[in-house]
Amino acid sequence: MTIAPPSDVPLLEMRNIVKLYGGVAALRDINFDLRRGEVHAILGENGAGKSTLVKILSGVVTPSKGEIRLDGRRVHIAGPAGARRHGIAMVYQETSLVPTLTVAQNLYLGDEKFFNRLRGTYIEAQQLLQSLNFPVDPTAIVQSLGTAKRQMVEIARAVRLQAKIIIFDEPTATLTPEEKHHLFALIDRLRQEQVSVIFISHALEEALEISDRMTILRDGAHIVTDDAKTFTRETVIRHMVGRSLTDELYGRAAAGKLRPPGEKVLSVQNLSMQNVVRNTSFSIFAGQVTGIFGLVGSGRTETAKIIAGVVKRDFFHGGDVQFDGASVRYRTPCQAVRDGVVYVTEDRKGEGFFETMSVAENIYVGQICSKESRGFATSMREMRELAAVWTKKLNVRALNSDARVIQLSGGNQQKVMIAKALVQKPKLVIFDEPTRGVDVGAIAEIHHLIATLADEGLAVIVISSYLPEILSLSDRILVSRQGRIVEELSPGLATSETVMFAAVH
Amino acid sequence: MDRWLGRGSASITMPPMDGALRPNDLLDSASPILEAPAPDCLAVTSRGVVVSSGHALVALGRSDGAPVASFDAEISALAGLPDGGAAVGLVDGRIAFVGGERDGKVIPAGRETRCITALAPGRDGVLLVANGSAANAPAAWKRDLMEKNASGSVWRIALSDGGRQQVAGELAYPYGLIEEADSVVVSESWRSALTRLVPGGGRREPVLENLPAYPSRLSRGSDNAIWLALFAPRSQLIEFVLSEDRYRRRMIGEIDPDLWVAPCLRSGRSPLEPTQQGGVKQLGVLKPWSPNRSYGLVARLDHGYRPTASFHSRAHGRRHGVTSCLAVDGRLLFCAKGDGVVASCGYEGVAL
Repeated sequence: MTIAPPSDVPLLEMRNIVKLYGGVAALRDINFDLRRGEVHAILGENGAGKSTLVKILSGVVTPSKGEIRLDGRRVHIAGPAGARRHGIAMVYQETSLVPTLTVAQNLYLGDEKFFNRLRGTYIEAQQLLQSLNFPVDPTAIVQSLGTAKRQMVEIARAVRLQAKIIIFDEPTATLTPEEKHHLFALIDRLRQEQVSVIFISHALEEALEISDRMTILRDGAHIVTDDAKTFTRETVIRHMVGRSLTDELYGRAAAGKLRPPGEKVLSVQNLSMQNVVRNTSFSIFAGQVTGIFGLVGSGRTETAKIIAGVVKRDFFHGGDVQFDGASVRYRTPCQAVRDGVVYVTEDRKGEGFFETMSVAENIYVGQICSKESRGFATSMREMRELAAVWTKKLNVRALNSDARVIQLSGGNQQKVMIAKALVQKPKLVIFDEPTRGVDVGAIAEIHHLIATLADEGLAVIVISSYLPEILSLSDRILVSRQGRIVEELSPGLATSETVMFAAVH
Repeated sequence: MDRWLGRGSASITMPPMDGALRPNDLLDSASPILEAPAPDCLAVTSRGVVVSSGHALVALGRSDGAPVASFDAEISALAGLPDGGAAVGLVDGRIAFVGGERDGKVIPAGRETRCITALAPGRDGVLLVANGSAANAPAAWKRDLMEKNASGSVWRIALSDGGRQQVAGELAYPYGLIEEADSVVVSESWRSALTRLVPGGGRREPVLENLPAYPSRLSRGSDNAIWLALFAPRSQLIEFVLSEDRYRRRMIGEIDPDLWVAPCLRSGRSPLEPTQQGGVKQLGVLKPWSPNRSYGLVARLDHGYRPTASFHSRAHGRRHGVTSCLAVDGRLLFCAKGDGVVASCGYEGVAL
């Protein structure tokens, strides 16, 4: 006979958790508890200790000190399999699926029967995915899926394991607003079924919306835990970074301090690329930040990539791109860079930098591509000097410039990528999702940098799915829908609702 | 090759109306001052602001509505002179004077100026004259575009003896003029551009290019801002027709000009107009599709001829075909020739 634990005992308690890496404390005396059927957001800057804490919980990392209690009983979580046995599942930001297997095979990976009937597996998988409202084909090979759908498969796998605790690490970073809506409905359903959810996100609005309680960590230490209702965006940020970031940068539109347009730098006319970019036209002016908002799949990134020579427009009647008054058709990004057009990609790990190279080498790669390059004649001294200047200018926090980029936090990786672009002395900078997966401290720094570039007279395009970013940074807002720019709004008059309405209808 | 691929100079593309040219409904919300048939050109004289309408010159704000002057030919251009009078260009090429020192005098038509589209007072007792086309009369402007002519010219005519001196030729329908210290800025309609002409050397410099509509008259406000009227929108369809020579020749030869696939001062009044019954199927729904052939647009330019603000009458509007505008006493006056209205609106605070 088992005795049900009293309801006031938290489902999970982590007491006095300490984690040391070579004598450096990643977590310092953390206390954390999770109640049944609650959504608990853990927030903090990169390096605050969120990931370490949930890695301890999911059995990936062993704590140096402290204890974990589940249902009031002390437990030892020995590896990820042990965590699964205890009913703890984790949905990773970067999916842990096997790319060459089908969706259904991934869902049942490790749970295969002695004799497998693939058809039966597909039917079960289809039922599971349908019950979650996820439009994913169970027979599709995972590598053929987009990031959002891979995320859905991850979530479905956690739900299938009937976990008592599901940890979501940045679940919405790659989802469209509609998919996000589905995810939140699912989390709500899990909550009703008394499943507890730990929610890690950089999108503070989402955390405020979905969570019941919030815990904020800073520099490996516990700062505060309280009901989500007691927090506002400003108080959360203040707890996270230890200072207020709400300064004049984010009140310009209301104060009527928008930058006036300078010369027309870029004119995109009737640009087309298959069904993705459809007869789109817009202009970009010097000395302004032009924000482009749109849902995923609205053709923003593709348009930017055509401008920067990364992809090519239609061969026949693909439209015209005029940069500095002249028609241009870049076959490679290098040509665009030499003319003064740089594109800072949204996929920094895939396209943004060489992860096996150092910070200095990555920044120097940008210089090599620029007009001032001397071809193969490279100089180590020049590389180090350049790295020193830009790491200082952009406040890149690395142990030294010889550190590999992959070892840095998301924010610092982004800054390296921006340095690599700015070293090319551009006239037009296109930022694609500049703060995706970046902590709030670094977000403010990147926003300041973008504003400074526009103040210096550069033409700046910011493509973002994050509405507050678009509204706060932009001097003009362009809205993209179904492959074309459909609306232009002034930030002084635009609201989240008007921008979203234009993006959807 | 470019023509086949639709690239380079053969690409059929339109500059967007965005930035300072972002559409609004300000022309439609302007207060009407005068309703008259085809009001065309505005000027400031000692009798106040006058507007040309057909054969007559009408003063704005006059209660009886009687014309200030009438002529035996239609008026095609008008300019206020420093002495308070007005120079009136007629469709047959004559230039008549109303009021001021030269009241009642007429400069006879010259062979070179048979299509006067704009007049502007110049320094040293000269009158600047824009001759839109060497081949067509002002009323046949649509034909001039469809024939892809660039036979316009700008002249300096001495007021004392009527002596003429050409400033520049081979212009693509000059439709507006403004004199600067050492040059003349002209709006070339068929090039959708403003061009600076430097007398003497015949030098030309682009001032503002790639406009999304066909520019017409220019005027200068008291704050040194430049005001530009644009009388019809450019569209990919019309550019496509302009690139199809055989189609265009047949259209010119066989179809009534009012029904050409060409810009116009007011469209949508006849079911016989081209593309009025077009349609596209989108998401399984058949939707009407009819690109605009008329529009209302006035742009305010800074001293460097860069657009800073704009006033629009969109597809559904009732102030199309703006051929002239003036900024007087903090208000913008404009002629919507397509809809037969002269109206005014405030412009302070209207900016990007």
